[in-house]
Amino acid sequence: MRHQLSILPLLVRMYVKSQMEYRGAFWLDRLAQILSYGAVLLGMWILLQKFDLLGGWNWPELALLFSFQLLAYALGASVSFTQLRDLEDLVRLGTLDALLTKPINTWAYLIFSGLNVGYAGHIALAIPVLIWALMAAGVQWSLGTVLFFAGSLLSATLVTGAVITMIGATAMIWVRSNHLFSIFFGFWELTRYPINIFPTGIQAVLLTVVPLGYISAVPVAVLLGKPVPLLGDFAGLAALLAGPIIALLAVAHWRYALSRYQGAGG
Amino acid sequence: MTALIEARGISKRFRQHKRFPGLLGAFKSLVTTEYTEVTAVSDISFDITAGEAVGYLGPNGAGKSTMIKMMTGILLPSAGTLSVLGRTPHAERMANARQIGVVFGQRSQLWWDLPLLDSFTLHQRIYEIPAARYQDNLKRFSALLDLTPFLDRAVRQLSLGQRMRAEIVMSLLHDPKILFLDEPTIGLDVVAKDAVRKFLAEINRERGVTIILTTHDLQDIETICPRLIMVDQARLIFDGELTRLRSALGSARRLTLEFASDPGPVPLSSATLTSDEGLRKHYLLERDDVSLVQVLGEVGSDRDLKDVALHEPDIEEVIRTFYQRRNAAAAAAQ
Repeated sequence: MRHQLSILPLLVRMYVKSQMEYRGAFWLDRLAQILSYGAVLLGMWILLQKFDLLGGWNWPELALLFSFQLLAYALGASVSFTQLRDLEDLVRLGTLDALLTKPINTWAYLIFSGLNVGYAGHIALAIPVLIWALMAAGVQWSLGTVLFFAGSLLSATLVTGAVITMIGATAMIWVRSNHLFSIFFGFWELTRYPINIFPTGIQAVLLTVVPLGYISAVPVAVLLGKPVPLLGDFAGLAALLAGPIIALLAVAHWRYALSRYQGAGG
Repeated sequence: MTALIEARGISKRFRQHKRFPGLLGAFKSLVTTEYTEVTAVSDISFDITAGEAVGYLGPNGAGKSTMIKMMTGILLPSAGTLSVLGRTPHAERMANARQIGVVFGQRSQLWWDLPLLDSFTLHQRIYEIPAARYQDNLKRFSALLDLTPFLDRAVRQLSLGQRMRAEIVMSLLHDPKILFLDEPTIGLDVVAKDAVRKFLAEINRERGVTIILTTHDLQDIETICPRLIMVDQARLIFDGELTRLRSALGSARRLTLEFASDPGPVPLSSATLTSDEGLRKHYLLERDDVSLVQVLGEVGSDRDLKDVALHEPDIEEVIRTFYQRRNAAAAAAQ
């Protein structure tokens, strides 16, 4: 185990070195990301100039929701998204077979050999907005809220990585998984908005089968002292526990999918 | 000698959604709960002892790669027991991985954008190879395969042949007891194929590394592997010395008789006439125990025999004949 962990930094170094072979494209990509997410934020701002409130949330509160979601997503996706999206290709082309003949944990190898530093663009946009919004939205700071903020951000990161891992792992059973990622991003876009603006059915989905409510709407509502539909007083606890629980489910699902792996043929 | 690999009644079946023909069928295939079972490997048994070099041969879809994937722990057999170096490969995949080397001809394990040496260094770390042994192996194998000048070059700048040689060097860096190679010469040019074959034969002979390779290319087997396992339609059809293959598969020798003047029909009890050009007649000698002297005795001295040619089939021909006969039998059965 310790030996395996010691290899991970080397994998990251090799991956970053590979990426830097294409430096120009790297910086251009980051700029494109900042601009595209910046445009979403601008759209929300314009909307709020007209309506003042969205589901009872004002502009700084929505900016907090947006930046919390973006940061949690960027942290979670950097350790999962591109790697697990590409798992489908590894299965289809048989590259996963070669990986399975190495004496190293397959998931760890995949994740760290593709640790996506490309999310730096998301993070560069999310952090300044988050800092401004935390000050402007009037969060009642105490030791409790500081700990909750850190814990729920970590939990949201875990939810992101775990859900993506579960989706990606299905490629080992069905060879294809990318259609599931489209569904994921459909729901994910909803999490930029307060959960109370949606019909109860969608709220229930976002808090259970597609638990993306926990990557932004639930923790940020708790932080701002706003009511959370369906969860009520349990919202704070749910936001903190969602990450570890879903991560354990993801580990079990990954093991199951790996045991069902049949290769792509040949 | 004890066996390094013991396969007893190994089968592997894959379950696939049933597919229906036509556009309507395509929609039906999407929702069907019917499955078809495809048998990739059927009741195969063999033992492989330390130091052997075994060629695993068969046409596309015969189940060669599936067998390799079971022996390397990637896939779990549906039936039978499999032991590699005393372990069950699928259950003890990681422990098994430390003592075997695996090369997949069409699936590179090298880091495309980085210097070749970086991939080797990572391999050293993953397999925990002591530095001195690593340096020693790297130097020796790279020299043998003429890779030394390319160690600092990015993998994407290497030719296919150089990459394949690199894959082989990498697979040997941790001194595996068994080396599995799945189609190691596929796509290589003649010179590269030759280099790979000579190298594999040498490490098998000199270092005693047990080699199991799958291939389409008989030349691979002739150069590297004294023993041949042949599979077809998931079943084992031959296991033994390459030299025994001809008699085992009963491939016929060809006999050509050339006469100075047309002798008319020359029927022979020990050979079958395949074509008659008048002066030149072609026969098949289907039985192995018939000697040329016997045949010539039957021709008799009164006919004006000028020349005799007996053609021993090469392995390629033996196998081709086998498949042709099988296909003919399958067609007749329909």
